Amino acid sequence: MQGHGSAPGPELSGSPQPDEALPSTAWLLIALRWAAGLSILLATAIARWGLGIDLPWEALFAIGAAVLAYNTALAWDARRPARPLPAMRRALWVQIALDWAAMTALVHFTGGIASPALIYFVIHVALAGTMLAPRGARALALLAAALVGGLAALESSGSLAHVSLHSLGLDSDLYRRGEYILAVLFFFTTTALTVAELVARQAQRLREREARIHAMSEAQAAFTRAATHELRAPVASSLALVRTVEQGYLDEMTPPQAVIIQRVAERLDGLRELIDDLLDYAASREATLSRRPLEPVDLGAALSDSVERERPLAEEKPVTLRVQPGEPVCVLATDPGLSMVFSNLINNAIKYTPSGGEVTVRWVVDRPAGWASVTVEDTGMGIPADDLPRIFEEFFRASNARKSRVIGTGIGLAAVRAMVEHYGGTIALDSVEGQGTRVTLRLRLAPSEKSFPSLPSP
Amino acid sequence: MARKILVIDDDPDVLLAMRLPLERAGFEVIDALNEDEGLEKAKSLLPDLIILDVMMGTHTAGFQLAQELHGPEAPEALRRIPIVMVTAVHQTTPLRFRPDSDYLPVEAFLEKPVDPRRLLEEVHKLLPPE
Repeated sequence: MQGHGSAPGPELSGSPQPDEALPSTAWLLIALRWAAGLSILLATAIARWGLGIDLPWEALFAIGAAVLAYNTALAWDARRPARPLPAMRRALWVQIALDWAAMTALVHFTGGIASPALIYFVIHVALAGTMLAPRGARALALLAAALVGGLAALESSGSLAHVSLHSLGLDSDLYRRGEYILAVLFFFTTTALTVAELVARQAQRLREREARIHAMSEAQAAFTRAATHELRAPVASSLALVRTVEQGYLDEMTPPQAVIIQRVAERLDGLRELIDDLLDYAASREATLSRRPLEPVDLGAALSDSVERERPLAEEKPVTLRVQPGEPVCVLATDPGLSMVFSNLINNAIKYTPSGGEVTVRWVVDRPAGWASVTVEDTGMGIPADDLPRIFEEFFRASNARKSRVIGTGIGLAAVRAMVEHYGGTIALDSVEGQGTRVTLRLRLAPSEKSFPSLPSP
Repeated sequence: MARKILVIDDDPDVLLAMRLPLERAGFEVIDALNEDEGLEKAKSLLPDLIILDVMMGTHTAGFQLAQELHGPEAPEALRRIPIVMVTAVHQTTPLRFRPDSDYLPVEAFLEKPVDPRRLLEEVHKLLPPE
């Protein structure tokens, strides 16, 4: 049993992975920076022309503009998808370094050690705390204190011209007073250290908890798969045995015996269906949880594979099963997974379509948009409008399906959706009760490269 | 003389479920419960057809046996015997098989749970009723 031995366990206690949150952290920083850059411009304009405060507005405008300019570059850079983690980490540190340079300039031009902008540094210390272990966060807090202290030293020694903001009512001599500088540095450093410590510890606890939950879900999916798999063989052999009796390969039965055997066969068939669905579901959860890498999969081959697998069922009913092939294309998926998705959808369509009905499978490729869209359409019983919103829920079955004699478990569609979302695709279902159902999948086209890393979920 | 079919599967109930319809259809059925016994009986009895479970003790036992029976090194007498491979679509092996795979030298596939009617259909395709 593949994956059985990889049941996650002790390794989670070691290092939780803060890296998984990196892309969202980078985007959060970029969003906040738009606000920061604009507010510097706005606040300078209001202070200068609204309140008549005398301040070096040219320098402040330049800082605001610089922040917006490098943020534009960073936003453009961050749009590139799926980069290796070390590169993303580096990009994040570049962002932080640029911000610290901008903040130091801002503090300098708004009064140095007496600047009200000093408190901005704490934002970045807190932010670093969310990404670093407590030790790293403390180091960064001290670095912030050193930057502020260095700036104060340069200004008080006269190496750097001090910018005084008389209009703010600040004593123009503060920057030269050692006691004041020491007091500010003391409170700044302790605040920064405390914030770093608190945030880093909380963030670490959250990451550890997240890792534990993740490992538990993974273990649960692995257990479901292992346990269900053990059920499969006995059910399959019981069913095979009962069918030999049911189909008359032994002596003739009395009519009541035949009825009982037929019922046993039906119940076993239901059990087999449940097991297969559970296996699919566990597989989809394991794939999602382990972020199994995606690969280019031939869409037409996967579809015809599934169509051929389900054809006997269609012929038995009979239901016309038609395929309208589109242009050959490879999509980003996993090989057994994609066939599972299609088989489930086609099997559903056939099951819920009465004899004489039709099931049509087709796909179209939109190369510029990077999508292939696959449609499975039937002329079956459909789904009541009230049930549509819940149709992808685990173990949910539409009311008319529950009343029918069709065997079903209500987890097939949940597994399908989990898998499609793992592929970065979408699934939509529309249906009219009594007329039919149409399921539309959108799958990402594979890039020309042979291998492609798994993308973080959007 | 009845034609011989060797059925190799580690589940005695599956063996029985295949034996009943095959015997009813007039074949002589020989059982083997593992791959070694299967290879042994294939060599000594030279059946007209072999039905082989793809997953016995290990994921690849049936696969390896198929290679031994039909691979390039196998004797001609064994290579002539058609093989029906019994597979489970939902089995969790890392390998997936398709009838058209050139690396899997078997004539037909049958899906678990085995349906007696389908079993006879496949068998009759390879050994038409006399």
